[in-house]
Amino acid sequence: MDFSFLDDWAEEEAPALDQTGEGYRNIWVMAEATREAILPPSLAALGQARELADQFGIYVFGLLVGSGVEAQAQELITYGADRVLVVDDPLLADYQPERYVHILADLVSQYRPEILLMAATPLGNNLAPRLAQQLDTGLLSHCVRLDADMSERLLLGTVPIFGGEMHHTLACPQARPQIATLLPGSFAAPYPDSSRSGQVESILVDLADVPPSLTWIDRDSDFAAPEPSLAHAPVVVAAGRGMGDAAGFALVEKLAHRLGGRVAGSRGALDEGWIQEEQIVGVAGQTVAPTLYIACGVSGDIYHTFGARQAQFVVAINPDPEAPIHKTAHMAVLGDARQVIPAMLEALET
Amino acid sequence: MKILVPIKQILDPSGLTFRRDKERMFVNREDYILDPGSKAALEAALRLQDAGHVETLIAISLGPARADDALREALALGCDQAFLLCDPAFEAADSSVAACILAAAIQKLEGPDLILTGSRSGDTALGQIGPRLAQALGYGQITDAWTLESDGKALQATCRWGTGFAAVTASPPLVITVSPEAFPLRYAHGARIMNAYREWTVTTWEAADLDLDPAALAPKLVLRSEGFPAPFERGEVFRGDPQDIGRDVVVALRQQKLIP
Repeated sequence: MDFSFLDDWAEEEAPALDQTGEGYRNIWVMAEATREAILPPSLAALGQARELADQFGIYVFGLLVGSGVEAQAQELITYGADRVLVVDDPLLADYQPERYVHILADLVSQYRPEILLMAATPLGNNLAPRLAQQLDTGLLSHCVRLDADMSERLLLGTVPIFGGEMHHTLACPQARPQIATLLPGSFAAPYPDSSRSGQVESILVDLADVPPSLTWIDRDSDFAAPEPSLAHAPVVVAAGRGMGDAAGFALVEKLAHRLGGRVAGSRGALDEGWIQEEQIVGVAGQTVAPTLYIACGVSGDIYHTFGARQAQFVVAINPDPEAPIHKTAHMAVLGDARQVIPAMLEALET
Repeated sequence: MKILVPIKQILDPSGLTFRRDKERMFVNREDYILDPGSKAALEAALRLQDAGHVETLIAISLGPARADDALREALALGCDQAFLLCDPAFEAADSSVAACILAAAIQKLEGPDLILTGSRSGDTALGQIGPRLAQALGYGQITDAWTLESDGKALQATCRWGTGFAAVTASPPLVITVSPEAFPLRYAHGARIMNAYREWTVTTWEAADLDLDPAALAPKLVLRSEGFPAPFERGEVFRGDPQDIGRDVVVALRQQKLIP
């Protein structure tokens, strides 16, 4: 029997990898890389691009722009890209929004990608809206979730509003490419697969007629943002009398520091002299509204829990299963905080 | 230096209650306030004014008629002029449309040297207006600045970069977006608050006053649905060896994306 018709089908089904003609196709990921590695938020974006590309049946293009970043091209393929475009130029050693927009807008008009993903890092937040304006298209910024609408072949981006209390799902139905930035920490990084293969293409650019506008004085400034007040802190770790002694309280401070949060306490912690009066949470002190509230060695009577009632997620560490704090907690940890916290700190390092 | 501050009025989040379990937003008190990002931008501009670098300070707002209040607040704080861009045609504006309208108004105001705005607003927090304006006007840009100084010509800022901060300088014309937390706004002088309502005026411009391309007024984005994050469930219990439960707690918190 003649099976040659199968070859015709196969030829029909596979879209050409170097499709640059009419119509917008393929997903691009603008990856941020240093000389040593690709940044984790960009890898997470690549993982999302791979998933979307498999649903739409299109290719993933990785895009590397910078100076000395060419070595990372293979890494992008390992993490899911089918093809990598590298723009490596000594003039790109320092980020300049005009130059990046110039390069990306040129590439987009030449290759016509359907979707362009970036991580919502400071660079992504600086570049993506400017690029979207230049390309006269919409931008789904700070997405916490991406979906594909297969019936209309659209990218759906879920963005947090009012500080993440509510979600809006947005789409960009007409303009192309659909650009989205992905909030770091909302997407898991994909697993590398060293058996994957793909093409790497170097692209030469002429940046002479695009003058830089920024002068970078110190790329690693020792400026430290002022800490948010206890009432506005995203993470609060509270100590109670159950921490035992000053050494136990030091563990609470360590945990708060590691999680980027603030230390608070109950009346008991004030009586022990560990915290100041303005750090008390409760009826007699502050009302806090963190995303994560960790109560360590706090029994949790109403005078304390009243101050933490607006916390979104409460973890109670207390060995007494009858302690009232466990009734209000999302996670009840029945153990001595002096032993659990060191184990948590150890696990946080991995 | 001529500075322009685009400001925004938002629904006060402290008057809202969000119930994840009921999947509803309850508006307990419908109050409109000056957006925290706009407040920070105003304060940054006022600090440059205090340092003697500013000749004209202009506040501009795109919004419904009630945004007049926000502009009068800006006048009370120290702005010299205030413009309200209000037209039924502007109501459906998304970020790209808003940037085009503001850019048209800014061109009519004959090129400010510096545009200061918030890096993200307190409600939608899309953070697009600053860079979009910069591109539309052909200005340079610095985003998410935490400090801002001027020597009369160039501006120096400390902005968020990578996982830390970086110091950069740039020369006008420039758009700088400032972090809402970085510049706590001062109080306006009582006499200026009264003058803002009695003596000073807010100029209103409609679509016909601006040189606008009708095609630019079509929004690029559509809202498909509204939703709420899944509610956190109470009552997960960890017991056993402290070593194990410490590790399990960290794993569980990471799964909930509460810690990095």
